[in-house]
Amino acid sequence: MAIHAAASDRALAARLQRRDPQALAELYDRYGRLVYSLILRVVRNSGIAEDLAQETFLRVRSRIQGFDAEKGAIAPWLLAVARNRAIGHLHAAAGRRRNVLKFEEMDDPALAMEMERDNLNPETARAVKAAMEKLSPQERQVIELAYFEGLSTAEMAERMGQPPATVNTWVRTALQNLRKDPGMAIPA
Amino acid sequence: MTHEELRDSYELYVLGAADAAEDNEIRGHLARGCEICTAQVKRARWMAAALGQLAEPAAPPARLRRRILASTGYEQRRFGLAPFLGAALLMALFGTFYFSGRVRDYATLATRLDGELRGATIELTRLREALAIINGAETKVLTIGPEPQCKVFVNPEQGVLLLAANLAQPPAGKAYEMWVLRRNKKAPLRAGTFRPDSNGSAMHIQRGAVNGNDVAAVAVTLESEGGSATPTPPLLIVAPFAP
Repeated sequence: MAIHAAASDRALAARLQRRDPQALAELYDRYGRLVYSLILRVVRNSGIAEDLAQETFLRVRSRIQGFDAEKGAIAPWLLAVARNRAIGHLHAAAGRRRNVLKFEEMDDPALAMEMERDNLNPETARAVKAAMEKLSPQERQVIELAYFEGLSTAEMAERMGQPPATVNTWVRTALQNLRKDPGMAIPA
Repeated sequence: MTHEELRDSYELYVLGAADAAEDNEIRGHLARGCEICTAQVKRARWMAAALGQLAEPAAPPARLRRRILASTGYEQRRFGLAPFLGAALLMALFGTFYFSGRVRDYATLATRLDGELRGATIELTRLREALAIINGAETKVLTIGPEPQCKVFVNPEQGVLLLAANLAQPPAGKAYEMWVLRRNKKAPLRAGTFRPDSNGSAMHIQRGAVNGNDVAAVAVTLESEGGSATPTPPLLIVAPFAP
């Protein structure tokens, strides 16, 4: 995953807003692999991952006019859309319609407005992996269930066959440990 | 709930994994402009984006790129050496199988199917864009009728969608052109030409932001096929717009 300067992404977002046909190709070349990897991790089916990756890029393209490139970073938004598409698919397949609507709502480009810094780069990727490895297996599992499956603590408890209070403790401890990890500190 | 009680809930909120009570509480704080919650949610979004890189890297198939670009109607023009290499490969294949009529039959079939698939994909994308405009929270709907029967959807962020039925077929060399008429004597904005299908139905989308406060009406005229710089009277359809 190559590092891409925020300024370059801002220019790319502006070109997408002007409907520059080459801009979507460049967006895909920069982030297609990251998007596909994330979706595949969630749905674990390459055919469905392709469909959802296509939906992700088309959705970002269709909603780009609501995105303010001066205030937000396009890559985290793109990744959020990819995650929400994939988790929405999982929840729809499981018949959890309410959750699907919630993840649809989270695609709003306005939610990416406060993302000042593009944190998708190899350094952050290494840091987050290292921070996850320091967690206990249960703590790691609950973070993965939250991120890759969008499960609430109650749903995790049911999935893991553990009391909700126990799972809740794992979740809180995991989040506190991740926040305290030096590699996960938000750059000033 | 206090901010201390919510301290470990912001990441779950951002991930859509918070329980209903936590979710509602944080939404309420954000709606009231709570600075602490706004800062915490911003920090949590940073962490959520970082977690996105936990997935093991996987290479998408090459067709995915083509598929995405084709679904937007984009044809690549900058190929570098690819067309020459492709042409060389095709020539080699052609030389090898020149005497095989079956190969040519298959190639024709593949070309036709590829064209049909491409057309269907583009149409599907247009329908998705139309649905996005129709379902937009800010969308305003204008209805005109009965002849021709017409609905216009104006979304300030996504553009203008026109759906029409019972439209007469334009004469040869002519096409309908949509216009966004603006207030304060500002020049009308061109919004693209279109032709109805054989049943007189049309779905025309003008993508891009529209300043709702500036729009007086959406109109349709009959113009030459290439469109016109200014609307040619008469206005065949006029949908007045109230911001």
